[in-house]
Amino acid sequence: MRSKLAPLATLAVAALGLGLAGCAAGGSGDGDTTKIVLGTWRTEDAAMWENDIIPAFEQSHPGITVEYAPVDTNDYNAAIQSQIEGGTGPDVIMCRPFDVNRSWIEQGYFDSLAELDAISTFPESALTAWEGDDGTPYCVPVASVLAGFYYNTAIFDELGLEVPTTQAEFIDVLDAIKEDGTYTPLALGSADGWQLAYNMLYQVGPNAWHGEDGRLGLIDGTKKLTDPDFVEGFRVFDSFKDYLPKGYESISYEDMTQLFTLGQAAILPDGSWQISQVTSTGLDVGVFGAPPAAAGDQRYQQEMADMAFGLNAAGKQKEAATEFLEWLGTPEFQQLYVNKLPGFFSMGSEPVSYDDPLAQEFADLKEGAELTSRLALDRLSAGQPPLDDEIWRVAQLMYNSGLSPEEATAELQKGLDSWYTPAG
Amino acid sequence: MIRTGTRYRMLALFVAPALVVYVAFAVYPLLSSVGMSFFDSGGGESTFVGFGNYVELFTNPTTSERFWNALVNNVEFFLIHLLVELPIGLLIAALLTSGRLRRSVGVYRTLLFIPATLSVVIVGFLWRLIINPLWGIVEFPLLGNEATALPTISLMSVWQYLGIPMVFLYTALLAIPDDVVEASRIDGAGAWTIFWRIKFPLIAPQFGLITILTYIWTFNGFDIVYALNGSAPGPNYSTDILGTFFYRSFFGSSGQVADLDLGATVASVIFAIILVTTAAYFWVLQRRLKTYEL
Repeated sequence: MRSKLAPLATLAVAALGLGLAGCAAGGSGDGDTTKIVLGTWRTEDAAMWENDIIPAFEQSHPGITVEYAPVDTNDYNAAIQSQIEGGTGPDVIMCRPFDVNRSWIEQGYFDSLAELDAISTFPESALTAWEGDDGTPYCVPVASVLAGFYYNTAIFDELGLEVPTTQAEFIDVLDAIKEDGTYTPLALGSADGWQLAYNMLYQVGPNAWHGEDGRLGLIDGTKKLTDPDFVEGFRVFDSFKDYLPKGYESISYEDMTQLFTLGQAAILPDGSWQISQVTSTGLDVGVFGAPPAAAGDQRYQQEMADMAFGLNAAGKQKEAATEFLEWLGTPEFQQLYVNKLPGFFSMGSEPVSYDDPLAQEFADLKEGAELTSRLALDRLSAGQPPLDDEIWRVAQLMYNSGLSPEEATAELQKGLDSWYTPAG
Repeated sequence: MIRTGTRYRMLALFVAPALVVYVAFAVYPLLSSVGMSFFDSGGGESTFVGFGNYVELFTNPTTSERFWNALVNNVEFFLIHLLVELPIGLLIAALLTSGRLRRSVGVYRTLLFIPATLSVVIVGFLWRLIINPLWGIVEFPLLGNEATALPTISLMSVWQYLGIPMVFLYTALLAIPDDVVEASRIDGAGAWTIFWRIKFPLIAPQFGLITILTYIWTFNGFDIVYALNGSAPGPNYSTDILGTFFYRSFFGSSGQVADLDLGATVASVIFAIILVTTAAYFWVLQRRLKTYEL
């Protein structure tokens, strides 16, 4: 018996020894370089960071090496929270916009960045998503995303259509495509609630509720969702449901993109992050923003603060991490970043040029428009029921079960009233 | 004959490795999660709140509505498995052992078991394409309708895991000695009578066991719903089950801050639901299922 087990035991001990040796080798770094770790949820950008951006930083900052450590976006919040509580958090932490970040600030996860030079290169509006209640900046903005209506220029030419400049013209365009019957007017399904909210309601609604006026009004309690402006925004959203493909109730986000890229639909409401996808089949695609109700009215454009980086208050390499954060404010980084990742836009004051023509077209939508954030992500979703999740659900009910704009807004306001006390 | 003391020592020695791993990776996390549900960790430090989180879960109109909705959906999810998967599994197991398939038994057994080896993401993706109104075979939005969404997802899961009860009951049926069956045939019993009067009573304990296992699996269910509909499974939460409700509470959703305490509370409630039913089953029912000595 003993003789049979002996080789196995030796093998086990050897394997264990090798493993330990491996750990030891991995653990000891050389003395003169400092390693900082970036915590992020952008798993899909790992190659871009590792091949282009981090080398650019390391070249100009000898002595610092950067490790990109992504966590799947769904688990990111919980992962960061448990890492920081356990004292193993990354040196530089990617910041979620608004409520999640505000709770992280309150927990003391971040150091204030008020002293950072990079902060002054951003306009105040770019910083709000990551500020503390007293207006102290805690994160350096990296990128925002925009929402728009992609359109197939070949279909528009074939049917002799023009890009609409008012809401009424928009409906006329959709009617014309529907009447022709060859193409689906609007590539939109209601299977994914977030899609209805983020790319439709929060895109067409701000023209009715006057963007930030309405959004901040809800937050400070001077406005209610049942006010005529908001009901009107929901009504405009509702008016698009006559132009959807058959069986739209179970058409998911991926299906819509596919319907559009196969050239079977004329218009796709979507975010700028889809630029590469939408043009992947070689379609000639243009983009327009949600048109205002009447010609000459102020136009509102959804710009969603998406990514920023903050400094871990318990980090061990704060000096190197601060150097990295300073670098994020430089045009060098921003030019590199937005062109490696078409569909994401710099939030800095300095103009940045975009190599991708569609990205440039998207960036041009910001011209002459008031920028506004997604309606319900700031403060209004920090309790039960979270307004944002409720809007997903109610938007689906409006499209699937005929809930009216009045009923929808009344239900949402009731849910909000059950827990929210205005920030005042 | 080894002395009892040594025997116990040997027993402990052999059990120890598995026990240590089990305690470290199953019992301890479970207990600490239950422990967590009695604390409020908001604001950086955790304070003991007793059953406060449970009271919150069941009295807050939003969370309690979502909880009961998820529970009812989960019962439906289980019942569909119970009423569709198990009878079909039993039927196929009976056919496989009936001798009528002759040499193709192995082929059928393998084919029917293959879906159970697929990744749930693949199963969800395949079925989503098959029933897609744009590219699939039905125009009706099965997954987009509140009444049909959950049954549709349940049936996908039934399709995937049919092989499990089938194999389970198949091996039980194989273990029945031929002489019992032959004796009953000589006594004049037909195939129907033989199955229900001879074979089924002999496999009843296994049938009971697969029933309770199905119960445990469905109440721990999460993956197929999450793969198809994400963590806030619509439309209108009609496909939300306890697993997704837990995930949403614990990990948060789009703009919602993760609430670890509420998540731990939900997890403990799910654990209690499964524990109580399973324990009741073993104490009350499984004992009465007569095990025939052969």
